[in-house]
Amino acid sequence: MTLSEEAAKHPRLHLLPQTHQLKGLMTIIRDANTERGDFVFYSDRVIRLLVEEGLNYLPVVDKEVITPTGLPFQGVAFEGRICGVSIMRAGESMEQGLREVCTSVRIGKVLIQRDERTALPKLYYSKLPKDISDRWVLLLDPMLATGGSAVKCIEVLLEAGVKEERILFINLICAPEGALAMLEKFKSIQIITAEIDESIDDRKFILPGLGDFGDRYFGTED
Amino acid sequence: MAASGSSNNGRGSTLMLRSAGRPPWYTPDGRNIPAYMVGIAGASASGKTSVARQIVESLNVPWVVIISMDSFYRRLTPEESKQAFQNNHDFDHPSSYDFAAAVRALESLKHGKATNIPQYDFATHCPSNETLHVYGASVVVFEGIFALYDQRVLDMLDVKIFVDTDSDVCLARRIRRDVAERARDPLGVLQQYDRFVKPAYDGFVRPTMNNADIIIPRGLDNHVAIGLMIQHIKRQLDDHNAVLMRPTLLNRYGKTRSADDSLFLLPQSNQVRAMRTILCDRTTPRDDFIFYSDRLSRLVIEYALAQLCLTEKTAITPMGLPYHGYAIASNISSVTILRAGGVMEKALRSVARPAHYGKILIVGDPKSHEPRLHYANLPPAISAHQVLLMDSTIVSGANAMMAIRICLDHGVSEHNLIFISLLATPQGTRAIQAAFPAVKVVTAILDSHISSDDLLIRSGYGLFGDRYFGTEV
Repeated sequence: MTLSEEAAKHPRLHLLPQTHQLKGLMTIIRDANTERGDFVFYSDRVIRLLVEEGLNYLPVVDKEVITPTGLPFQGVAFEGRICGVSIMRAGESMEQGLREVCTSVRIGKVLIQRDERTALPKLYYSKLPKDISDRWVLLLDPMLATGGSAVKCIEVLLEAGVKEERILFINLICAPEGALAMLEKFKSIQIITAEIDESIDDRKFILPGLGDFGDRYFGTED
Repeated sequence: MAASGSSNNGRGSTLMLRSAGRPPWYTPDGRNIPAYMVGIAGASASGKTSVARQIVESLNVPWVVIISMDSFYRRLTPEESKQAFQNNHDFDHPSSYDFAAAVRALESLKHGKATNIPQYDFATHCPSNETLHVYGASVVVFEGIFALYDQRVLDMLDVKIFVDTDSDVCLARRIRRDVAERARDPLGVLQQYDRFVKPAYDGFVRPTMNNADIIIPRGLDNHVAIGLMIQHIKRQLDDHNAVLMRPTLLNRYGKTRSADDSLFLLPQSNQVRAMRTILCDRTTPRDDFIFYSDRLSRLVIEYALAQLCLTEKTAITPMGLPYHGYAIASNISSVTILRAGGVMEKALRSVARPAHYGKILIVGDPKSHEPRLHYANLPPAISAHQVLLMDSTIVSGANAMMAIRICLDHGVSEHNLIFISLLATPQGTRAIQAAFPAVKVVTAILDSHISSDDLLIRSGYGLFGDRYFGTEV
């Protein structure tokens, strides 16, 4: 079994249904020749699917309502307050997708960069909702390579009092090494992703990947 | 009657008449009932067009078309064209007509297909570049001097009429018409009559009287003959009429409580169930109703798009490595059933870029709830596409069947059709799948409780369009 297959079988790693349509969208996003307008449009489309899938891991409670025809209907209602936390800068690209389905959602931001002296991820900035410890957190980062920043960010969330089982990591493409390491380190988090790639290279880029997501989304390539 | 597609004087052109919504023109199995075909022949200026109009007005059939033989004049050679401008071409000879084109068009109309009818330009003696798009006639009247001439046409006609007006009356009318409408001089008209019109009538037109079921002497003035003929056609049309669709479908499939395996039901995730609850709650404010309708629409549209078959494609990523994926479909069109289907069209536009947008308006008859087609506008290019057909709700399946029938009549193939709804009953989806097994039916919510008195889905969201657009009574 390859590492990718192992990751795909992990009970806390949830892949979007691998339909032709999703692969079609990923083909556009991954293609080096795709124009930025299309890159943004189709990334947003996959992000919306990821957010919708992520929300399905939130709890619901039974609820009876009366329909317009006057009869009762046994349904369910959303339960549990949520917030988003985006890992700057690429994670910000996913905020809009979250806001489209949860209009007034609170969104925290975290800036984590690699410390050139220690080569370890370092927290530079974080601004989180005050009551985050009572909330479910949708942690937003499109690319998961080694998982260094995401792990650091989860530590920040845990310090802020967030319960580990209430963290849903929403991700577009992950490398199996990073995903498995994260799931191993945090025994209760869940990962929702669109695709699992093959590996990472020496420079910690995902292969075959799509290059630098933030640069392509925000138009800051060289 | 509202008329569309008629030329300035109505003569020699296609005339589509619509007075009200068109009732189902197909059986509950989804098969088209052939259009009722009437042929009217007679001498030039014998009053064929007037008789045709008299018939369609008296029949009171909502969608009718009158096709003139003049639409099928053959394209002239340059030499013939020169002769025509000098009044030396024999337009009254059978060889002046393209019978094969007429047969093709009539066959297409008989089978209920959307059909392009050629238009002839009398000023240039040339078929016009424009054609007239005709769709949805339950009665087709074909009139012209050679309407009863070609055996293939005769085989298609349900009733064949010959208008037998005295030749002196015809000639007098012809002179009056050509002088007034075509600015010709009376002498020229008479010459043409002697040289072409009269010999053609005697040699080719008059003998076709033998092919007629009914001969009407004195044309339009013969009220008794026309009255009898209309009665006859009415009787035949009644036999022709389709059964009531909704009761038939509910009778056949009303006991169904589970959907067919081939139904594509959106996975019933927590979020979908919660959205359904909000939409079903009668106390939900309209803002929320709109918001969650739009959100659920987008999910069901994405789910429907995921059912498309795509072709493989390999992309090279910025890392210089191949990614083996698929090319998203570029040949998608949408057809919206107004008004509630428009909600889903909005969702489709936000994720895909369909090539064409067709629109259909089907309204339930206030008394019988039977579907009535009021408007259909589907671009011809749609026939080569994968078509997403959208409506908010499927109850008995009667409206959906009509919409699918319209798409098929416009040349869309059954296996290229995906019908998408927010809420459907197993009864309705069964009815659709029984009639059109290759059509993919996709829905966000499945609910089997139809109330028999108002045909609403009991635990459903009420009248979707009214709640979304804020037009509740």
